[in-house]
Amino acid sequence: MSELNAALEHSTYNYKVVRQFAIMTVVWGIVGMLVGVLIAAQLAFPILNFDLPWTSFGRLRPLHTNAVIFAFGGSALFATSYYVVQRTTQARLISDKLAAFTFWGWQAVIVLAAVTLPLGMTSSKEYAELEWPIDLLIAVVWVSYAIVFFGTIAKRKVSHIYVANWFFGGFILTVAVLHIINSAAIPVGLTKSYSAYSGTVDAMVQWWYGHNAVGFFLTAGFLGMMYYFVPKQAERPVYSYRLSIVHFWALVAVYIWAGPHHLHYTALPDWAQSLGMVMSIILLAPSWGGMINGMMTLSGAWHKLRTDPILRFMVVSLSFYGMSTFEGPMMSIKTVNALSHYTDWTIGHVHSGALGWVAMISIGCIYHLIPVLFGKERMYSTALINTHFWMSTIGTVLYIASMWVNGILQGLMWRAYNDDGTLTYTFVESVAASYPGYLVRLAGGAIFFGGMLIMAYNVYMTTRKDVAAQPLPAGAAQGSHA
Amino acid sequence: MIQHTIGLLTKPGAQWRSVAGLPTSSQNILVLYPWLLALIPAVAWYFGTTDVGWTVGNGPAIRLTYDSALQLCILFYFAMVGCVVAVGYFIHWMAGTYGAETSFAKGIVVAGLTATPMFVFGAAGFYPLLWVDLLIGVVAVSWSVYLLYLGIPIMMNIPEERGFLFSTAVVGVGLVILVSLLVTTVFLWDLGAGPAFTDV
Repeated sequence: MSELNAALEHSTYNYKVVRQFAIMTVVWGIVGMLVGVLIAAQLAFPILNFDLPWTSFGRLRPLHTNAVIFAFGGSALFATSYYVVQRTTQARLISDKLAAFTFWGWQAVIVLAAVTLPLGMTSSKEYAELEWPIDLLIAVVWVSYAIVFFGTIAKRKVSHIYVANWFFGGFILTVAVLHIINSAAIPVGLTKSYSAYSGTVDAMVQWWYGHNAVGFFLTAGFLGMMYYFVPKQAERPVYSYRLSIVHFWALVAVYIWAGPHHLHYTALPDWAQSLGMVMSIILLAPSWGGMINGMMTLSGAWHKLRTDPILRFMVVSLSFYGMSTFEGPMMSIKTVNALSHYTDWTIGHVHSGALGWVAMISIGCIYHLIPVLFGKERMYSTALINTHFWMSTIGTVLYIASMWVNGILQGLMWRAYNDDGTLTYTFVESVAASYPGYLVRLAGGAIFFGGMLIMAYNVYMTTRKDVAAQPLPAGAAQGSHA
Repeated sequence: MIQHTIGLLTKPGAQWRSVAGLPTSSQNILVLYPWLLALIPAVAWYFGTTDVGWTVGNGPAIRLTYDSALQLCILFYFAMVGCVVAVGYFIHWMAGTYGAETSFAKGIVVAGLTATPMFVFGAAGFYPLLWVDLLIGVVAVSWSVYLLYLGIPIMMNIPEERGFLFSTAVVGVGLVILVSLLVTTVFLWDLGAGPAFTDV
């Protein structure tokens, strides 16, 4: 591969590692979402569990979450952060070897996860299911990542540190702390360990980690992406630089407190639950700071928006970001949580963030990156990007809407009781009532997945040296790439 | 008013242009449009939940008591009108950003006319079969979103590319209002306005 791509090497920057991570973003996106579509189908048609332990929902679900969050999202973050930090500091990555190690190390983690999770090896901590040897590897890779990133910033050729790097840096540091503390465990064998914490404390540490995996891995890192690629694609400066700094510090300071809302009405002390709820509501302000800044940056790019489907991905991702960061604080209110918790409303909320925000901003950024990295003027087909845009949007809307309906339905059925105090419905009746919603969700997920296949084809055709880009539709323009 | 309903469902582009061409005073009368059309779903769901009922699995038909259904449907009616007015206010509020001149009334008119498919298809409440209503709901919402993207540039007299971003912003606001509605509903249920079912 290295000889083949020798012509693509940039004289100043290390684009090789960026290219590797960008391609793997698409590959792992397809793998992760395929598993997602499969487990969505399992909920509608249980026969698809095949009566085998390795293909059962309980083992494939963590495979899905790990694949989309850490493999797809993680690769997108590595690719964009390595690209952005080089471009904005005008310096090459501090070490090509260490950068290559983070790439191969991260891929090894993903492959190990794909092997161990279906075998049932799990720490049982949500979003941190991997057993201790893999956790150690993650820690080593992540510290290397931090060295490469901050080392590059240290040798920067401009005095200013652009705000996207603040978000990437905050995300890298915090995830290191979260991962190392939450994964502390006593091993009893190569594939089994017990958490270093017990009982309620274990639960609280887990959700301190769990919610900040959302807050830093899936929010701060992707805001870093947004702050570089949205102004770049729109060819306009960031709307308010001051707002970006203020909401960075507010986001970092408040997110870390919000974890207890995952433990409402549990053994966690009531004051801790209430504190988590209050902090979650305050979190709305810094979250919307980012959305407003992105939206206002895009607001002057009228003439491009109609014809540039990459910008459309970014606009819609910011809309979903605004919606889901409003929904989150609302769901953290105890009264609402009493109905919504453990229902499909939660799954819908997660996916409005994961599909609508994280996946769509990543897809937009990858479409921007691929031509730059492979020395092309633009993507092979702008029309296919547009098709992908509509498939992603429709898929996400179907997913969210069906889960809202299911969530309210389940919440109402579970709490309904008769005059004599007995429950009106059995649990399985609520499952039966959820069936239509599961079908619609499956359709939405499958449409979103189909869009990823179109993206893979478009990316493949763009990377081929012997294929020229298709002519643009009349009047269309795809943002210029520097 | 009813010709606008039929027009928006059969020849939406032409209908938006004819509404946009109305003198301001006649256009402002359309502020009453959502008040009228919101009656359709409210009445439909009242009959649907009391006289028809729905089933879960193989269980007997579930119905609401008349008192409870009346209370809920009145709240439902005002929630619908309230949401249209709220969306209308935000359309008016954001219009300046997108270089359009509006009034609060015009915002409500745009929001109300856009919601036409949802109001009309709300008649599905006469027969509350969950999966049918879910499908009809998806169609109605998609149709309304289409009407929005079509109507905003026409009604606001702005270029289509700005209209696209304006419409997207309205969808964003609409989603937030929808979530607010869900949350308000949960609060009201908790405060005692929850549904009361008939004894089976």
